[in-house]
Amino acid sequence: MKLASSIARGAKRGLHGDAQRGARMPSLRRLAIHTAFACASIASTSAVHAQSSDATEAPEADLKIQAQPTNQWTGIWTRQNLLGDIGGVRPWLNKYGISFGLQETSEYLYNTRGGLGTGGAYDGLTTMSLGLDTQKAFGLPGGNFNVSAFQIHGTNLSTRHLGTLNTASGIEADDTTRLWELWYQQAFLDNRVDVKVGQQSLDQEFMVSSYAGTFVNTMFGWAGVPSYDLPAGGPAYPLSSLGVRVRAQITPSITTLVGVFDGNPAPGNNPDPQKNNASGTNFNLHNGALYIGEVQYAINQPGQGAMEMPGADKSTSGGLPGTYRLGVWYNNETFADQLQDGSTHRGDYSFYAVADQMVWRPDPDEPRSIGVFARVMGAPGDRNEVSVSANAGVVMKAPFKGRDNDSVGIGLAYIKVGNHATAFDVNNGFVPRGSETAVEATYQYQVTPWWQLQADAQYTFNAGAGQNPDNPTQALRNTFVIGMRTNITF
Amino acid sequence: MKPLSLTKSGARVALAAAAAAAALAGTQAACAEPQGFLETVHKHTTLVNTVPDNGDQNPYAIAVAPVTSGAFKKGDVLVDNFNNSTNLQGTGSTIVDYHPDTRQMTTFATIPRDLKECPGGIGLSTAMTVLKSGWVIVGSTPSNDGTTSTKGAGCLIVLDNQGKVVSTITGENINDPWGNMAVVDNGDSATLFVSMAGFGVGRADALGPDGDPPVFKQATVLRLDLDVPAGKPPVVKKQTVVASGFGAQADKGVFLIGPTGLALSADHKLLYVSDAIGNRVNAIEDPLTRDFSAGVGRQLTADGLLHRPLAMDTAPNGHLLVTNALNGQVVEIDPAAGKQIYARWIDTDKAQSPPGSGDLFGLVMTPEGDGFYYVEDDVNTLVLAK
Repeated sequence: MKLASSIARGAKRGLHGDAQRGARMPSLRRLAIHTAFACASIASTSAVHAQSSDATEAPEADLKIQAQPTNQWTGIWTRQNLLGDIGGVRPWLNKYGISFGLQETSEYLYNTRGGLGTGGAYDGLTTMSLGLDTQKAFGLPGGNFNVSAFQIHGTNLSTRHLGTLNTASGIEADDTTRLWELWYQQAFLDNRVDVKVGQQSLDQEFMVSSYAGTFVNTMFGWAGVPSYDLPAGGPAYPLSSLGVRVRAQITPSITTLVGVFDGNPAPGNNPDPQKNNASGTNFNLHNGALYIGEVQYAINQPGQGAMEMPGADKSTSGGLPGTYRLGVWYNNETFADQLQDGSTHRGDYSFYAVADQMVWRPDPDEPRSIGVFARVMGAPGDRNEVSVSANAGVVMKAPFKGRDNDSVGIGLAYIKVGNHATAFDVNNGFVPRGSETAVEATYQYQVTPWWQLQADAQYTFNAGAGQNPDNPTQALRNTFVIGMRTNITF
Repeated sequence: MKPLSLTKSGARVALAAAAAAAALAGTQAACAEPQGFLETVHKHTTLVNTVPDNGDQNPYAIAVAPVTSGAFKKGDVLVDNFNNSTNLQGTGSTIVDYHPDTRQMTTFATIPRDLKECPGGIGLSTAMTVLKSGWVIVGSTPSNDGTTSTKGAGCLIVLDNQGKVVSTITGENINDPWGNMAVVDNGDSATLFVSMAGFGVGRADALGPDGDPPVFKQATVLRLDLDVPAGKPPVVKKQTVVASGFGAQADKGVFLIGPTGLALSADHKLLYVSDAIGNRVNAIEDPLTRDFSAGVGRQLTADGLLHRPLAMDTAPNGHLLVTNALNGQVVEIDPAAGKQIYARWIDTDKAQSPPGSGDLFGLVMTPEGDGFYYVEDDVNTLVLAK
């Protein structure tokens, strides 16, 4: 039928102003016809000569396509989640404003040298979440309810084989099934202000560097200072605390966040805080408070309704976007001095600054771009194990043509141990802890929209900040970890 | 110290300064005439989530009902969905009806996906209109698996005012009615302009020599002259291709790129076409009367603030408003001068880079002319900018 197709195309072209115009066939002026691709009508229009197409020849098969019903697996390779609409369950839940998420992150990391020893570990995290949009459910605009839980499985490479402070993976945690977050958020004033109340994990909103989120090492997420200095590591994965957070967009470029949370998400005597709150349901409010505030300044990120004039080179969409954050937290519990001499300090605090800036974007209509990030935090060295932590790095999005959702990055995580902790080491004949630096290179490969593979390599200088955590009189050699992580959205 | 006092010359200077300031303010007020429509918009209000009970997603076309008839009231906003509940392109089959008076949304029509009279089935595109006679005409650009590999020729579907399918319009001139329609509706007769973006376009993974799917310069604008006898469905009296040679291309991300916007000038002497592939807006002369194709017509404006223009409508001041595919902006064009006035960010969703990329599609002025409706198809919402 290919010949018939090309004749039909030639017939159409007859209308487009060539010499045959006057000799138009009556069949082309007919009333609406059904798709009878009969050879008779084609033969009658064959008098019109076919012009050659100025694009590549393609078969005009459209008229022969029959509608086929879609099934549960149609389009599996191109849709956003693996299970699609789960046989109609998702749209049914959506009718009531309920959305459902299920994600699995699994990885295998292997230490090739140094540290506590060579060896590998598998660890994985399943995250389940349920959200309720109150507008869809019962007409209340701006309300959102969220509950989420984890199933953590596998073993911890960092404690078994590394002994590093910049722990290798942000998802490493004790095996357990636990509640993660349980909160309600209400937006006011045209979504310019919103308040979130409930059990929350602060690493989702505070001290976040969006470019740093590409990396696997823990310290690119919830950094060294809050991880080691806050009681139980603070309300961050896998823990959370009861509290209130208010976010306000003061101008289109300035947003502030303030929150007050329970000071210790996992109080108890077990030195592993996660074991003090293994199910995540130890809701408590009697351990002092964590106050936290952050100001975010966005540049070249147009607000809703911003106008752009023609021809402006330095227009908002021409300038490259960046976000800068400045914050402080204060925890009013009592903290023992790191000299472990019995003295204590009332309260602990830290200042931090984060910068994310895109520095190169060859075509504003394409996703390829290069961005840099930097993050620095400080806390008093007398009561804190970590007095400075910092991150820096470069991330390139869409590095290769056709791989629009891939990312490649190289980054650095630095931890400096507090001076009283170092003095304690000296006093006790241990290897004095200094600082530890981890360098990570990673490539995120988006296989399908719901499946991501990530190759990773991390080299840590001065593992354990110089000290073997299992035997403090000994040092540790540098570690080199390689691994592969996968992420599946169901 | 000598107290400060206004000397006579000082007072004169002050008065002169005040007068100058007042004059300046006066001229500024006079010069503060808005250059265009977009700067008069105050806010963007999300009206409703357009996902109906069956889970269809990706709202494309918007059409405001000009009359009260059957299931819809005058002023109701009809929105159709291009994707189904699993978010496959070219499989959406519902039209929802947003009622601005009650702020509720109902489902106006659910068209059977495998409608036999429509080659390839149903995937409702940006082509939709509600006639004064109460008939609704909507275009279908269907696919079986969300990609152009199984893209059928589609058709125009005629629905009655209760959302029931009455007839379809198919033929060799109709291949994937894609962009928003320009309509002249005289009650007992009507003229529709629809862009056809499907000719030649094949698979999105059949890459050309430059690594992208090939562009086929065969997209057309078809004029359908309809007779609407009283109480009877519209019948096509004549089909004329008024423009042709526009580019169309399959795309892995957005399914199909082709001419997506049509708008008539106030005097109906010009039909403006937004050419997504060519990143420009062109003008076709004598659209209502011509009987042969004008090719791609005359270029009105290209590039600049345009980033793959999509749906288009005419503002009360005669300017064109057109949405961008590659960022969340709507661009205002003065067709008389062929100039782009400015652009306004109406979707700054940071989940995309640039923000709003791929979110905007349909755009329609409110009947009062004081604002416009648009869809954000990544979050499935209908928004009013007023």
